[in-house]
Amino acid sequence: MLEYLYDGTFAGLLTAIFHAFRRKEYPDVILRPQGQRLLFATTHTVETDDVMAQRVLNGIERYGGKTTCEQLLHAFLSQSDNVEILILQYARELFFQKRPIMADLGNSFVLQIHKLDRRVLREVQRVLMFIRFERSADGIYFAPFAPKYDVLPLAVGHFKHRFADQQWAIYDTLRDYGFHYHGKRVEQITINAPAFSRDSGKLSVEMEHENEDDYREMWREYFRSIAISERLNPTLQRNFMPKRFWKYLTEKRI
Amino acid sequence: MNLQEKIRILAAAAKYDVSCSSSGSDRANQPGGIGSAAKAGICHSFADDGRCISLLKILYSNHCIYDCAYCVNRRSNDIQRTTFTVKELVDLTIGFYRRNYIEGLFLSSGVINNPDFTMERLVRVARELRQIHRFNGYIHLKTIPGASSRLVKEAALYADRLSVNIEIPSEGNLKMLAPEKDYPSVLSPMSLIKEGIVQYKEERRIYRHTPLFAPAGQSTQLIIGATPDSDRQILSLAGNLYATQNLKRVYYSGYNPTNLYDSRLPAITAPPLKRENRLYQSDWLMRFYHFSVDEIVNDAHPDLDLSVDPKLSYALRNPHIFPIDVNSADHHMLLRIPGVGPKSAKMILAARRFRKLNSHHLRKIGVVMKRAQYFITCHELPTATIQELQPERVRSMLTMDLRKQSLPNAHQLSLW
Repeated sequence: MLEYLYDGTFAGLLTAIFHAFRRKEYPDVILRPQGQRLLFATTHTVETDDVMAQRVLNGIERYGGKTTCEQLLHAFLSQSDNVEILILQYARELFFQKRPIMADLGNSFVLQIHKLDRRVLREVQRVLMFIRFERSADGIYFAPFAPKYDVLPLAVGHFKHRFADQQWAIYDTLRDYGFHYHGKRVEQITINAPAFSRDSGKLSVEMEHENEDDYREMWREYFRSIAISERLNPTLQRNFMPKRFWKYLTEKRI
Repeated sequence: MNLQEKIRILAAAAKYDVSCSSSGSDRANQPGGIGSAAKAGICHSFADDGRCISLLKILYSNHCIYDCAYCVNRRSNDIQRTTFTVKELVDLTIGFYRRNYIEGLFLSSGVINNPDFTMERLVRVARELRQIHRFNGYIHLKTIPGASSRLVKEAALYADRLSVNIEIPSEGNLKMLAPEKDYPSVLSPMSLIKEGIVQYKEERRIYRHTPLFAPAGQSTQLIIGATPDSDRQILSLAGNLYATQNLKRVYYSGYNPTNLYDSRLPAITAPPLKRENRLYQSDWLMRFYHFSVDEIVNDAHPDLDLSVDPKLSYALRNPHIFPIDVNSADHHMLLRIPGVGPKSAKMILAARRFRKLNSHHLRKIGVVMKRAQYFITCHELPTATIQELQPERVRSMLTMDLRKQSLPNAHQLSLW
C-alpha cells in the first residue's frame, strides 16, 4: 500500500497529483494531516510547491476548461472521505482523454465529483440565504455563521456586490476566520476576543446598535404572521431550513 | 398603533397571496446604491407552513371598498384595519434588506377610495425606494384592477415583477362571488404590461440603456376549490395566459375557509392541498416538460387524478408511446417518462454520448427507477414494461407502494 501525506490545502493536493505523475505511481490514499494513517504502508510526504500545483491546474484548465477547475475545487472543499483519490482519478482520465469529461456521468468518479460539486454549491447558496446581519453600535453589520464546508470565500462576492454601501463582516465561527468589508475592499480577519457569543452568535448587548432590537422584533412578528395556521408543516420547514442553521436565524433563535 | 402591530395585521392580511418568487431579474447594484437582484431568486427563510419567505410580502392597507366573498379583507368582514405610511414601508424594507432578511418587497393592498388612489400609493413606495434610496433589490407590485394605464406603466418602470390576480377561474363564478369585479378590469392591465414588455425588448435591442420595464414579467393567482370549476377549466385558462399574455407564473391557491357564513362558498374545513399540488405538477408539465393542456386534461378526463401524478396519469392513458429507449430517444420524449425530470433528462443526453446507459447508471444519475422501470428500455436485458403488464397492473403496483409508505401511521391493534 502506498500513502501520500499532504498539508490539506488544494495546492498541496495538486502537488501530490504532480508527484504521482512524475514518480509514475498511483497512491492508494492521499491523506490530509488529520487523516487516518494506514497500518502497513509506504509513506511519501508531499511538500506543497506552487509551481507544480500551477502546472497541474494549467493542465486541467487546458483540457477541461475553467468550469472543471472550479468543479474540482468545490469537490475538494467538501472534505469528503477519499475526495483526493477521486480528484486524482479525474485528473488522470482528463489528461488521458485530452477533452472535457464533465458530461460523462455514466463514469462513477465523474458522477461523484459532480455530486460533491453540487453539494458544496448548495452550501454556498445557504450562506446567501441564511446569513443574518445585526447592526453593531459602530455601524458595522455583523453576521456569524457556521457552514458545513469552508465556503465563505465563495460567498463574499455576492455580499460585496449587494451591500456595497454598508460596512459588514461575516465570521465563520467553526473555522475561526471571516471577512470584513469596509467600503472598498473585502479583507480576511480573525477575531481574538470576540464580542459575540460563540453558541448563539449573538452580539453582546452593549455592542448592539440601539434600535437593533426593534428590527429583530418586527422581523419575528412578520415571520409569525405570514404563516397560514391551517397549513402548518414543520417537516417541510425543516427540510428547507435545517435545524443546524437555526441558532443564527433571527426568527428562529430563542 | 405601533409599527409592529401594523406588521402583524398587514402581513396576516397578505398571507393568502401565494406568490413568493424573487426570480427573473438580475438588476445590478448601481454605485452608491444598495442591493441587487439574483436571477434565480433567493429564499431567505421558511415559515411554519413550509412556504418560502423571499420578499417582504405585505399589504399597504387592508381597508377595502370591495366585498369579494372569498377574500379575508372583504368590506363586510369584521377585522382590525390599518394602513402604512409610505415612509414606514420604505424604511422597513430597507432595514430588513440590510440585515439580509429579504430579497425585496412584495407590495399589495386592499382598495382604498378608488383603484387609482391605491395604485398611486403603491407606485409611490416603489418610486421612493428606487429613486431616493437607490434600492436595486427586487420589487413585486400588485396591479390594482381598474387602475389607470399611466399608473400601471409607471409601476412597471420601478417594479421587477407585476401581478394582477384573476382569483376565480371563470367569469360567471367571479360575478357571483365578487359582484363589483369583472374580467376586463383584470385582463386589461395585464395586456397593457405585456405590450409594454414586448416594446421594451424591441427598444432594448436597438438602445442598450432603455430603462427597465418589469424585467421579471408578470404573474397571477387562481383560487382553487372556492368555486365548482373543473381542473380542465383552470388549466386551460392557465395555458391560455402562458400563451397569450406571456405570464411567467400562474399560482394556484387552495381556498382557505376564510368565510364561514356565506352560503355561496363551499363548506370546507381545510384547504384542498392535494388538488393544489396536482395542479402545480400539471403547471410544471406545461412549462418545463412541453406538455399541452389537452394532454393533461381533456373531455374524457376533465379533472386530475388525485391518486397519481399527472405525468404518470398521462403515461397510463397513453401506453402506446412506451417503452422509450433512453439511449436514443430525443429530449422531448425523455421528458415524457415518469420518473425523469428536466435535470435528469439533460444528464442522460450528456452522459449517453460517452457510453450506453443501463439502469444502474440511470439510478445513479437520479432517475426515479421505481416509476421509470415500466416505461423504458435501456442497455440491458428487457424487463416487463407497461406493454407486457398493462396499464392497470402498473397503476396498482405504483399506488400500492405509495400506500405502503403511509403505513407507519397506522397502529397495530392490541390483542387484548
